[in-house]
Amino acid sequence: MPPAASASASGSGSSSSTWVEPTKDDKPPKDADLKTAWAFLQVGVEHMMSRMHLGMSYSYYILLFTAVYDFCTQPGKTGTTQFSTNRGGASLQGAELYRSLHNWLSDHCKKLREQSEHLSDLELLKFYASQWDRYTTGARYVNKLFNYLNKHWVKREKDEGRKEVYTVYTLALVAWKQNFFRHFTAQSGMSRLTQAVLRQIEQQRDGEPIDSGLLKKVIDSYVSLGLDEADAQRQNLDVYKEYFQSPFLNTTEHYYRAESSAFVSSNSVSDYMRKAEARLQEEADRVNLYLNDSTRSDLKAKCENVLIAEHSKLMWEEFQSLLDADRVDDLARMYGLLSRIMGGLDPLREKFGEHVKKAGQAAVEKVLPAPGATTETGKAETLDPKAYIESLLEVHTKYTEVVEGPFRAEMGFNKALDQACRDFCNQNAAATTSTKSPELLASYCDQLLRKSNKDLDAESLEAALNQTMIIFKFIDDKDVFQKFYQKKLAQRLVGSLSASDDSESSMITKLKEVSGFDYTNKLSRMFTDVNLSKDLSERFKDKERAQGVSADIDFHPLVLGTNFWPLVPQQTDFNIPREIRSTYDRFTGFHNEVHQGRKLTWLWHVSKNELRTTYLPQKYIFMTSAYQMAILTQFNENDTLSYNDILNGTKISEQILKPQLALLVKAKVLLQEGNNYDLNLNFKSKKIRVQLNQAVKSEQKAEAKEVLQAVDEDRKFIYQATIVRLMKGRKTMHHQALIQEVTAQISSKFTPKIPEIKKAIDYLIDKEYLERSAESNNT
Amino acid sequence: MAEKKQTVILQTSDDEQFTVEKVVAERSAMIKSMMEDLGDQEGQAIPLPNVSSSVLTKILEYCDHHKTEPLPAPDANDADDSRRKTSEIGEWDSRWIQVDQEMLFEIILAANYLDIKPLLDVGCKTVANMIKGKTPEEIRKLFNITNDFTPEEEEQIRKENEWAEE
Repeated sequence: MPPAASASASGSGSSSSTWVEPTKDDKPPKDADLKTAWAFLQVGVEHMMSRMHLGMSYSYYILLFTAVYDFCTQPGKTGTTQFSTNRGGASLQGAELYRSLHNWLSDHCKKLREQSEHLSDLELLKFYASQWDRYTTGARYVNKLFNYLNKHWVKREKDEGRKEVYTVYTLALVAWKQNFFRHFTAQSGMSRLTQAVLRQIEQQRDGEPIDSGLLKKVIDSYVSLGLDEADAQRQNLDVYKEYFQSPFLNTTEHYYRAESSAFVSSNSVSDYMRKAEARLQEEADRVNLYLNDSTRSDLKAKCENVLIAEHSKLMWEEFQSLLDADRVDDLARMYGLLSRIMGGLDPLREKFGEHVKKAGQAAVEKVLPAPGATTETGKAETLDPKAYIESLLEVHTKYTEVVEGPFRAEMGFNKALDQACRDFCNQNAAATTSTKSPELLASYCDQLLRKSNKDLDAESLEAALNQTMIIFKFIDDKDVFQKFYQKKLAQRLVGSLSASDDSESSMITKLKEVSGFDYTNKLSRMFTDVNLSKDLSERFKDKERAQGVSADIDFHPLVLGTNFWPLVPQQTDFNIPREIRSTYDRFTGFHNEVHQGRKLTWLWHVSKNELRTTYLPQKYIFMTSAYQMAILTQFNENDTLSYNDILNGTKISEQILKPQLALLVKAKVLLQEGNNYDLNLNFKSKKIRVQLNQAVKSEQKAEAKEVLQAVDEDRKFIYQATIVRLMKGRKTMHHQALIQEVTAQISSKFTPKIPEIKKAIDYLIDKEYLERSAESNNT
Repeated sequence: MAEKKQTVILQTSDDEQFTVEKVVAERSAMIKSMMEDLGDQEGQAIPLPNVSSSVLTKILEYCDHHKTEPLPAPDANDADDSRRKTSEIGEWDSRWIQVDQEMLFEIILAANYLDIKPLLDVGCKTVANMIKGKTPEEIRKLFNITNDFTPEEEEQIRKENEWAEE
């Protein structure tokens, strides 16, 4: 039979080479022995492995395939029919074929090895990569050609658990590894091939262009050669790790250690950080470019260690000067670098906190009046709460920006910032005691909320209040703030001095959000009281009108709950002037009607009066306190009165009366002659409304003291209440544990002092609420 | 359809040539992978020295009928192949496989050689169905097998296959 296809099948290949494809006539018979069969197959395999670019005809391929098939399906020597394939025979023949193939592949690889022996570096890489390409491509063809062997003999061997039997492609890789790849190992212990790769990488690091595609090919072959005995499909990186990754990581470490030390010694830290950042990026790119992805984390860790951790001290030291100079970019870079290593940021956070604290304290010192400085009026200059709070806020805002910018709002820095703000808000040059800051903050709020504050529209007022809340959160002694705020609020409400009810209630809501309902309970009650009281006085007026009582006196009572208001009646007798006596009686009567069983206490010292003068040519309206009103009404009958007359007439205690009289004299409403006071009949003023009701200076100081006393009182109760509450729950508790627990519970309200807690415990023991247990330390 | 379908020429052991659609020929995993590796060689006949024209005719019928079905993945795990687990044979297939014993075995051999997995399955299932429920004697008769086991060997085999006798 003439060969139908094979003669012309070699096609383009035949012209450029002496290769002539075997034909059907060369094919071994179906029952050929191994020698004959393999002789035929070997030619084909060799062609596939090294000359496949010349092509192969269908018919030759089929001939080869059929030869494999025929050999594998040969009836065994003991088999009698085609179907009773004797297992022993089949596996023996498969094994023979397999062994022949293995030997051939091994020999082939050994030849490659010989060819490569005189090569090194780039030459070696090029040779290796091109051989690898050709070999693996060829092996893929051969693998398919021997498909029958793979599917039957190899599969059965593997199913029976034989190791060291691989599908043909894997077998080819094994042969490559054993006979070629492993033999690069130089005397240094490192593979010559790996050395060549590393030299290329070093060149690239030094800025020279290299062929990264070539490297990728070589490195990929390391990965492919990692063969998993159990499962050929699974990637096994052992070879890659052993032969490439670990030497690679070592050289990387050496390279960067040397480079960074040299660089640091001759460049600034910020230049170094730029360099390190670029290097880290380069290495990350390198992984993408030609390394196996599994190296990424190890390489990253190595580089970070050498480039960052080993120089972290230097960066930590530089940090302060970057902060001082507000070098935002460098700070961000430093953050970026140090955040990569464990514990890299801790010293930064610490220093940052310290820095913010100092900045805060410096800011306060700036607004603090110089000692001995005086105002134009000659009084010693006092600290302006506004300037104080604003300087605190400024520092906070600035460093919040730093945290949110270069430090990417990282938790630890936020915490450090908060802690620092807490520190400098509570302890600074102005706030020598922990109660000063809350007091100033309350005063600032008062300034904001007063009618007299006209520079702010509703919106910016709201914004300013929000800002004060920032400081409020940092205040330790929130109860002190509460007391002062309450006091100021009382003043605003009683004196109708609030800028707007909306702002007042919005502020109370804000406080409630932060510190809870209990904290603002009193404040909001005060607020409602004022409204209730308005209703009450409306009703009183209606009644007055109904009874036809002539109202020559405008009367605006405020009836307020004693519990919620920080107002204490002053210790003094007071003779109610005749002129308002009837109104006083009528209202007292009315109040008792409406609220039976409630005691009405008149708070004269917070009341305000307007008196119309009738004795002067020009009509004036005097705005006075109740005491002044009482004094002045004495003069309705007499133009001249002695001190004693006044004292008897008003029954005001002397310590209150004297400063009040002094005020009137100063305003020239009264003229003093020795012990006698004359009504100044020639009184003149530019304004028609004359404000006589000025706070006496000593009162202001006393006020602050009073508030602090009240705070101390309250605290005692809180200590005791907390202790009792705890002890009720636990019955017995260790002394130390009790103190800790109390401290923990109270610290949201103010900073508890341990001696105070102990005092409270002792007090409770005295009162026999608690008792010490027999063992000394348990209560 | 105006578009000319790609064809390949198959040449049997008795030198008969068949021109068939490429998709039909590619039912054979062997032919498919060869064409992938060697590239298109138009006009070149693919010799099939182990298949006769009568068997190829029969097989091409099968391939043509199934040409639109997805090919099994080349390395699909047999155990996962649910089709293999049942002895059910599709309706068309069971009508198609109604051939004499000689032809049946030729088909199975060719399916194995050409690597047409579903066809090999159909053939083997058919043989399995023939054996099912028969005694060894009956089976020997059916396939014309002389019993060349010694009684000892027979005992041994029975022991090894006890699990199957339920």
